[in-house]
Amino acid sequence: MYAWIFHHLPGNLFWRVLQSVVLVAAVVAALFLWVFPAIAPYLTLLEGDPAVG
Amino acid sequence: MGGVGEILITLGVVLGLFVVWQLWWTSVEATAQAQEVMQEFEATLPPANPEPAELRTDDPPVPDKAAYGETIGTLIVPAWYGLTNNAMPIAEGTGMDVLDRAMAGHYETSQQVGEIGNFALAGHRRTHGNSFRHVDDLEKGDQIIVETATTWYVYEVTDHEIVTPDQVDVVAPVPHHPDEKPTERLLTLTTCHSLTLGEFGNDHRWITYATFVGWMDRADGTPEQVR
Repeated sequence: MYAWIFHHLPGNLFWRVLQSVVLVAAVVAALFLWVFPAIAPYLTLLEGDPAVG
Repeated sequence: MGGVGEILITLGVVLGLFVVWQLWWTSVEATAQAQEVMQEFEATLPPANPEPAELRTDDPPVPDKAAYGETIGTLIVPAWYGLTNNAMPIAEGTGMDVLDRAMAGHYETSQQVGEIGNFALAGHRRTHGNSFRHVDDLEKGDQIIVETATTWYVYEVTDHEIVTPDQVDVVAPVPHHPDEKPTERLLTLTTCHSLTLGEFGNDHRWITYATFVGWMDRADGTPEQVR
């Protein structure tokens, strides 16, 4: 899957590596800013409890 | 490498990132939000007289009950200097919207600061600013200081206990005796604790009690332990 994406990115090796880095950064940013805050209330292993904190 | 393997590796990496997010990023965000609240609060106050002054032991002024989410003052734990966000804002209420911004939350059913009874505060142990992370470092006699717009309130740690989360009467006016009439001015800190995971778990609660030792008008001076 990742190899397929990498081979289909345009440009030479340098540009493809650069685009990969940007794509990974975008995915991590989306996880940190939207996905994780949305699912955190359901994964309370490390989390405080509203009743006491 | 097959597609299934890649998906499994991806899931593993995402789970690892989730832990990084929860233990690190939530604190980065929360600390920034708490600092913003502190700056807004401090901007509304005249600067305190920086000279040390004698603590007064007559009846302290008691502020009116604040609206939910409103900043009451700041919490200063001298033993936590250099370890965590200190001072942190104290806001009315203990909802996640308050605690997740690295603030101490005042239990709305508990008494006001300086009032006879229990001024009870909740804070996160880990994540979202690690507000009360080092609660286990507090020893008998350590000061806990609350600063409001007009007044410094100084309390000293007396004791701590570890309880199950359902023991909500630790924040009663007389802890564990919800029907008794209070005679002392107490401050109680509550935060998460785990018997097995320590600061990382939430199966129990760490409760630290402190008793009032005196107060000071901000115009008269600043307690010695405040930096």
